[in-house]
Amino acid sequence: MNPVLAEIYSTIIPSAPFVIAAYALLLVVLFVYVFSIARGFKKAEAQMAVLEEAIAELNEKNAQ
Amino acid sequence: MAEEARKAPAAPHADAGGDGRVDGASGRAGATGRAPAAGAAGTRQPVRLKKPSTWQQYKTLLGKDLTQEFRTKEMLTSMGIYALLVLVVYGATLAQSGGQVDILQMSGGLLWTLIVFTSLLGLNRSFSHEKEQGCLEGILLVPLDRSVVFLAKATSNLLFLLAVEVIAIPLFCFFFMTSVPLAESAPLALAPLVVGAVGVAGIGTLLSTITVNTRGKDVMLAVLFIPLVFPLLYACVSATTVVVVGVEGYLDAFVPAMALAAGYDVVMLLASWVLYDFVVSA
Amino acid sequence: MADRKQPRLPEAGQWPDRLVPAALGVGALLAVAGFLMAFLFAPPVNGASVNGVEVIGGQVVSNVLLLSQKIFYFHMPVAIVSFVALAFACYYSVRFLMTKNRRFDTCARIAMEVSLLFVVCTMITGDLWTRFEWGVWWTWDPRLTTYLILMLIIIAYFILRNAIDEPERRSVYAAVVSIVAFIDVPICFMVTRVIPSSIHPVVVREGGMSADMGITLAVCMVGLMLLGFALYRTRFRQVRLTERVEALKEQLEDRMSDVR
Repeated sequence: MNPVLAEIYSTIIPSAPFVIAAYALLLVVLFVYVFSIARGFKKAEAQMAVLEEAIAELNEKNAQ
Repeated sequence: MAEEARKAPAAPHADAGGDGRVDGASGRAGATGRAPAAGAAGTRQPVRLKKPSTWQQYKTLLGKDLTQEFRTKEMLTSMGIYALLVLVVYGATLAQSGGQVDILQMSGGLLWTLIVFTSLLGLNRSFSHEKEQGCLEGILLVPLDRSVVFLAKATSNLLFLLAVEVIAIPLFCFFFMTSVPLAESAPLALAPLVVGAVGVAGIGTLLSTITVNTRGKDVMLAVLFIPLVFPLLYACVSATTVVVVGVEGYLDAFVPAMALAAGYDVVMLLASWVLYDFVVSA
Repeated sequence: MADRKQPRLPEAGQWPDRLVPAALGVGALLAVAGFLMAFLFAPPVNGASVNGVEVIGGQVVSNVLLLSQKIFYFHMPVAIVSFVALAFACYYSVRFLMTKNRRFDTCARIAMEVSLLFVVCTMITGDLWTRFEWGVWWTWDPRLTTYLILMLIIIAYFILRNAIDEPERRSVYAAVVSIVAFIDVPICFMVTRVIPSSIHPVVVREGGMSADMGITLAVCMVGLMLLGFALYRTRFRQVRLTERVEALKEQLEDRMSDVR
């Protein structure tokens, strides 16, 4: 490879890990947040099921 | 509007209750409020309640803090001793360096570190008093504008801070600056010290009112206070350092730094003044 | 003023929620497109000049080509989204102090969360660039300093929220802090730029942007804005759902104890 070209491209390879890491970490952070939201939804749904059960129980008691 | 409406009907009772509390705290405070009523009772005329002017309220509240301080000397001694201890720590820290140029360059930063940490100590105490003795509730019963409470408290904090600066700065010079020739522009450093103290007292009063009601209030105040005061600190350290070092054309750096510090003071004092009502009533 | 006593509250399922799927899809698409454009379409930025000239793809190149600058295409939009989120947090805080309605406090809190998320992204991308270009993990450069302070203030906001037990007081204090933070950050921005620090890192200033770079940046910006909006609304919906479930649970518990 000709030396001028080598110099022109000299920083590309060393900087590649940093660029990749930057984009990867950015995505990771965003996905962590998305997962935390999804977990919140799941928890709320689980609570909802518990509530439904409790209401059914309450209705039974009222019927007796 | 809503504020006025809420205050108005409660005024007569609240006035008496509030005066009583403030009276208990300081002794001198109640005298001004009660004098007209006593005079009216003596001549058997219908009772006229004269509402004290805002300035009078301010003076009374400030007087309360100062009287308390003069009696106990708690705040000044604790802040003074703390400042001295920080200087001792500096002594250990700087024992290994001590080049003349180094200390001159670092003096502004060291001085401001001292001031920030000492003021944190003072601000923490300023409201825990009020809280522990129930004095704040008494003050809030008085039908006065909440911003007066803020101004009075900020002024007393400012006065304590300035008093500590007056003690700490000569000590700082005595311990660290005697070996180096001070630039002739060094007296100008008083300007950032005063402007910085004003800003620290203003925003610090707001934040210490917030943190006095939180768990782990000492740490909480530091966590809120240091990032929020950072711009002021940055500007003041810069202004102090350039005049202490006294490099050629120091005014070029000094003036914009001071302008920014003063701008920070104005904006933050206004913001704190507006927001204080919400904080102290919550 | 009496007839406006009950202002229209933000609630899950209002019109912004209908835009969320579209915003999420378009945002993700634009972000991916921006990412691809940053590497394939936008020309690389020139660094220091080299001894000699070479023709690459029909263009004369006499400088070192920089790959690290590609971080910038996501770094700047993320930073701007974080600041927009902070502005919204401040707006909702003001609304909260005006109305004392807890819903606005919830909104402000979530906007603050989104802001923190994007500030963290800014710090990560910015710091990796700094590490490569300046060779240090940290320097007290104005840009870095401002964002560090912003991050600390937002973290302090959440620490404060955790340190107060009474809900009313917590909301008021949090609102006040978020307003003060929003005022503080521009001052910090100005102070750290106007006043030079004595550390002078060799800053490779990004020159003017070419049209291709501008378009790429704009695509990334719109994409990340939409993503930020979608995240905010989704989180808001989730928090509202949790709040409603909690409220129902309390009611049911009361009812249960009545029956017994």
